[in-house]
Amino acid sequence: MTKAMTDRPAAARTRAGNPAGPLWLVQALSGFLLILVLFLHMIAHHFVVEGGLRTFDEVIAYVSNPVIFTITIIFLVVVTLHALLGLRAIILDLGLGRSAQRPVNWLLTVVGLVAIAYGIWLEITVASM
Amino acid sequence: MQNVQDSQAAQGKARPRRPLEAWFDVRKEHIGFWAFALNRLTGLGLTLYLFLHLFTLRLLARGESQWNDFIALARSPLFLALDVVLIFGILFHGLNGIRVALVGSGIAVKEHRTLFWVLSAVGLALLVISAIAVFTT
Repeated sequence: MTKAMTDRPAAARTRAGNPAGPLWLVQALSGFLLILVLFLHMIAHHFVVEGGLRTFDEVIAYVSNPVIFTITIIFLVVVTLHALLGLRAIILDLGLGRSAQRPVNWLLTVVGLVAIAYGIWLEITVASM
Repeated sequence: MQNVQDSQAAQGKARPRRPLEAWFDVRKEHIGFWAFALNRLTGLGLTLYLFLHLFTLRLLARGESQWNDFIALARSPLFLALDVVLIFGILFHGLNGIRVALVGSGIAVKEHRTLFWVLSAVGLALLVISAIAVFTT
């Protein structure tokens, strides 16, 4: 058969790029969730707002809503996971070899946890203003 | 799933090149290659944007004047033009992601080319609508 459009360099297919692998499934499912949440985010924060951006008071009022607060935290976690798993696939695809996998995993895990912790702190700070 | 494995076996034989070179070797490349390359490029761009975006939001914690000053800057024509670039990245990555997830799961494997052009048309329409909204809202 002709080559399908899941084409990628060889190394990626054995890691996060493998359609049969668990990380590939995580990327597909988190990606689908992001389409929904990001669509809502763009509409709510930009396209229905006068001037395209919420003013300070409007942001505080919006984020103080517990439903919005919760969705934003979920968005933060899922988008960070998706971005860093994608970055990991690209880094490991540079042909670094197996010994590079552990430090890359550690580094990206730390970056992800810091980003999520910072985001939650900011969210709580803003919601309580 | 069988179709995907077949195609991967075929690709394995056809790609003895080193991974990084394969990114830039455009000889005899087909639309799937360009979709793959642009998916990674937009993915890197969106990741960079995500961290910039999170960092910028710290201004909210610094109070009203800092945030409102930033909003004024973000409404300048240059920023609005960059917003359109951002929206292109989001649309391409999201719509291409739908296609990759479907084809990778063994769905619509034979129709992947049609799927690419249908999603491209949807993306282009959404991009035009968004660009108009960005400059008129």
